[in-house]
Amino acid sequence: MSELNLTDNKFIQFHQKIGFKFDGVKYYGYKGDTIASALLRNNLKLIGRSFKYHRPRGFYTCGIEEPNALVQIISEYSEPNTRATIKKIYEGMEIESQNRWPSLETDIGSINNIFSPVFPAGFYYKTFMGPHKNFWKKIYEPIIRKAAGLGKPPKEFKAVSTHLHHNVDITIVGGGLNGLIAAKSLIDTKYSVLLIDFDDQLGGILNNSNKVLSVNNQTPMDWISETVKEIENSKNIKILKNTLVTTYNYINHLIAVEDKFVGSRPLKDKVNSTLHKIRTDQVILCNGHIERFLSFQNNDLPGIMLCSSFEKYMCRYGVLPSKETVIFSNNSNSESLVFSLIKKGFKPKAYIDSRSGENIEPDLFDLIRKNDIPLYTNSQIKGAYGNKKLQKILVEDSSGGVNEIKTDFLCLSGGINPDVHLFTQSKGLLDWDEKDLTYKPAQAFQPTITLGSASGQFDFNAINKEINEKLVIFGIKPVQIKLELNTSHKFKIEKLWEVLPQKQTIWSKSFIDLQNDVTTKDIRQAISEGFDRIEHLKRYTTNSMGTDQGKISSINALGIVSDLLDKKVNEVGTTIYRPPYAPLSFAAIAGRNSYEYYDPERKSPIHNWHITNGAVFEDVVQWKRPWYFPINKDETMDEAVQRESKNVRENAGVLDGSTLGKIEIKGRDALAFMNLIYTNSFSKMKPGTSRYALMLGEDGMVKDDGIICKISDEHFIATTTTGGAATVLGCMEEYAQTEWPNLNVYMNSITEQYATINISGPKTRNIIEKVFPEVNFSNEAFPFMTFQFHEYEDTPIRILRASFTGEMGYEIYVPSNQALKIWEKIISFGKEFGLMPYGTETMHLLRAEKGYIIVGQDTDGSITPLDLGLDWMIGKSKKDFLGKRSLIRSDTVRKDRKQLVGILPTNKNEKLEEGQHIILDKEIKTPTPMLGHITSCYQSPTLGHNFALAVIKNGQSLIGTKAFASTPELKTIEVEIVEPIFYDKENSKLAS
Amino acid sequence: MLIIDCPYCGPRDQSEFSNGGEAHVKRPDGSAEIGDREWGEYVFIRANPKGIFYERWVHSHGCRKWFNCVRDTSTDEILKIYKIDEERPKLDSFKNNVKTPSGEPNLGSGNFTVKK
Ligand SMILES: [Zn+2]
Repeated sequence: MSELNLTDNKFIQFHQKIGFKFDGVKYYGYKGDTIASALLRNNLKLIGRSFKYHRPRGFYTCGIEEPNALVQIISEYSEPNTRATIKKIYEGMEIESQNRWPSLETDIGSINNIFSPVFPAGFYYKTFMGPHKNFWKKIYEPIIRKAAGLGKPPKEFKAVSTHLHHNVDITIVGGGLNGLIAAKSLIDTKYSVLLIDFDDQLGGILNNSNKVLSVNNQTPMDWISETVKEIENSKNIKILKNTLVTTYNYINHLIAVEDKFVGSRPLKDKVNSTLHKIRTDQVILCNGHIERFLSFQNNDLPGIMLCSSFEKYMCRYGVLPSKETVIFSNNSNSESLVFSLIKKGFKPKAYIDSRSGENIEPDLFDLIRKNDIPLYTNSQIKGAYGNKKLQKILVEDSSGGVNEIKTDFLCLSGGINPDVHLFTQSKGLLDWDEKDLTYKPAQAFQPTITLGSASGQFDFNAINKEINEKLVIFGIKPVQIKLELNTSHKFKIEKLWEVLPQKQTIWSKSFIDLQNDVTTKDIRQAISEGFDRIEHLKRYTTNSMGTDQGKISSINALGIVSDLLDKKVNEVGTTIYRPPYAPLSFAAIAGRNSYEYYDPERKSPIHNWHITNGAVFEDVVQWKRPWYFPINKDETMDEAVQRESKNVRENAGVLDGSTLGKIEIKGRDALAFMNLIYTNSFSKMKPGTSRYALMLGEDGMVKDDGIICKISDEHFIATTTTGGAATVLGCMEEYAQTEWPNLNVYMNSITEQYATINISGPKTRNIIEKVFPEVNFSNEAFPFMTFQFHEYEDTPIRILRASFTGEMGYEIYVPSNQALKIWEKIISFGKEFGLMPYGTETMHLLRAEKGYIIVGQDTDGSITPLDLGLDWMIGKSKKDFLGKRSLIRSDTVRKDRKQLVGILPTNKNEKLEEGQHIILDKEIKTPTPMLGHITSCYQSPTLGHNFALAVIKNGQSLIGTKAFASTPELKTIEVEIVEPIFYDKENSKLAS
Repeated sequence: MLIIDCPYCGPRDQSEFSNGGEAHVKRPDGSAEIGDREWGEYVFIRANPKGIFYERWVHSHGCRKWFNCVRDTSTDEILKIYKIDEERPKLDSFKNNVKTPSGEPNLGSGNFTVKK
């Protein structure tokens, strides 16, 4: 029976029993219990196995600082590494312990503990290096993968989280005593205030201990509920409970995550967590303090707990983890636990203090004497022993004698630290307090105020003075809070970081980081190996690198290091606490940017027709484009592409080109502007004509291409690649605003306003004449690379004669809402001529046969127009355009640059692959000089040949010579380097 | 995350903006008389100081206007924002006492205590 009388506990609803499962066994707790308090209620002390050595571990704390008690919540998408000390239970909850096999009681991995010389400090660094290169891969890695670790990642989960933005004047972090007083003093002021607390109950230390007996002559409970009511009724203060501030960024930007299902099963279709993004003028940190532990032999045994955590289990959860605990302390913080135990009719089995009798607080001394508690002053615990749980401890008393005490529980206090994580995240500076032996906030970098123990102010009696001084900037009325305390003295501590080992056995270890299984011996070893800078030491030993960031132990490590190096702690420095304060799930970070909302899908206005007609889609940036149109479900992509491409060459094909970027450029200086943006010269172009154009970066490399239609000198329409649309528009805007603001020019994206339907093939004219009977499509009336505006059933359309396939072709630009109608018309009128839709794969094949490049496939940001053999596209008479000067840089005029060529395998059926290297020698010897690589390759039904495009060094002069393509299997394929054009070299079809 | 005071829209979250690198880099015209070195410096070389930095931003998810900004790269403090056609503010109008959040040494990182 470790239960207290629950009737006076306001937080546990003892009439509401809750059933849950831990490792398959059903237990009961009460509404309001955490997993930890419920399991302790059931006398369960073993909760998990440790990270490296698989040592049995129990509940060390009662809060978010917990290093050990991490569990997997099976009933919530198998959420791993959940802190049992804060997660509330609900009916039907299923929990599993972590890092044990086959079971928590009998864990085979604990043999690691005996082989622990295998896991010394710097273990990862040492094993990566040797002794043999395969040693890591073959021996260590498989062992470690099996043995070390925390929880298992969930197999499937569905994130339900949302993000919320706040802009407030003041944010108070922590709703404990100081947070509540600060919030109360801001009621009905001109400030908008957020009060954030991680707990579902405001009050902090008032709920978790008996340190404060009354506030303003009220019981703490009454004072809290009255104050909270006042705050809730105010117009300017909003309270966020169950919300943990994880991050304190620059410009007072806080990230906090709110659990929406505390103590109940998360619903699948409801928001499970809210990520609050808070922008605030002033932050008031009232997030309290964290108690430290102490290092000695086997200070990790289940049954060892921090003093204030034990007291919290009693006060907050009505659980007495043990009736006969021993207390070991070096400071006055443990007094409250003695007080609480006696108040409830219990007492510690022994009280051990490293301080001498005269340094122990007189009222604590009296309390112990009056209750006949065995007292060991000037004494230390040499070690703790037991099988999977604490059974006995050895105490060295002031005379040097060693006493054995049989006990199942031990409470520790090694001092207290202000919870400075958020303060240091905000870039505030800390300073070491030699009297209180801890780092305290010294100098804020942002508008940050710290109050109470978060500021290192451990004296309750100074509370009014501090608040009135620090909050005077808000013009508040001075507060006057009267506190009645269970002790009359201030916080006092004497230095003790660890008890040095008395005897060494393999099993005995003195831990400094419980979560990462780092021992004080590891610290010594690292220092002896030269890692005496604290940041190096941290990484070498992995000390405080767990998910708890060493909240109860990192300061102890600094103390030990400072003693070893004989330096002051301030000289040793501290490692940097990094966000997040505690792990938050990716689901919370992702918010609604997940699954179907992760990246928007863009669809052409003809998309639904493609679906109906069985298209297989490919992703081109955010667009869904038809890849190919199989005629039945047995037709493979290869077969479809052969059929589609043959049909375009013999009859006609139609492609949905709506995804191409379209930009409209207007203005008095539009012509001058276009001449500066593109390599081509548009000056002599007649209105109504169009031109294939290249855009370069200032480095002279091809960035994009497209067709420019000139409506007049003051009006152009440019197309871009599907992927380059936003970049090209951005680039035009940048130059228009920053380089040539004197030019009168405006540009706008019209990509989504117009659909593009491309028809090409020898029978194109027959089809298009039927669709648009009033338009004269003869060669004379509508020549190649011209465009005309027409109307189709009151819909204005633009028809451009151009081709990306090498066949005669037209592109029809239609307002998006009319696109499907015209597409269907073309399909139905084209049937008798054998018209078929084709997808991007066929388009790629057809353009490659013709030697047309795709920017981003055949170019990679290191290819100039000259490398592509496109010298004719450069307006040489123009004084300037983007990248012009770079075309005569020493690097761009090099003769041995990689240049675009065609590749034909000698054996025409030999398959080539994109990315294969082109080399000169048939035999591959390493290293083999590489000429270049294949950028596109296809099997052409028209040519009856496999072929490729490639960029190879000095390619233009190698045309007509033999070379080899190398395969990943180190074989070579004989190829011939040819002109990069395979079909209709005379361009007779384009103008036919 | 920074708050950037767009000269056209007012203060907005950094996520609405894109950084455009160093400001006031003069673009030579593309004529052949420009020497390799001068052109190469325009294309490839940008300053990356610790301290006061003149840079460009564009309100890419807003008004899409480019503007200039003076920022202390060691503290991320934005000292001035001005339109693209406004004159470059003089360097000595800003305090250039490279201070850093953690009081780090001027060069390299390392924590506060190592400085001493
Ligand atoms: Zn703007």
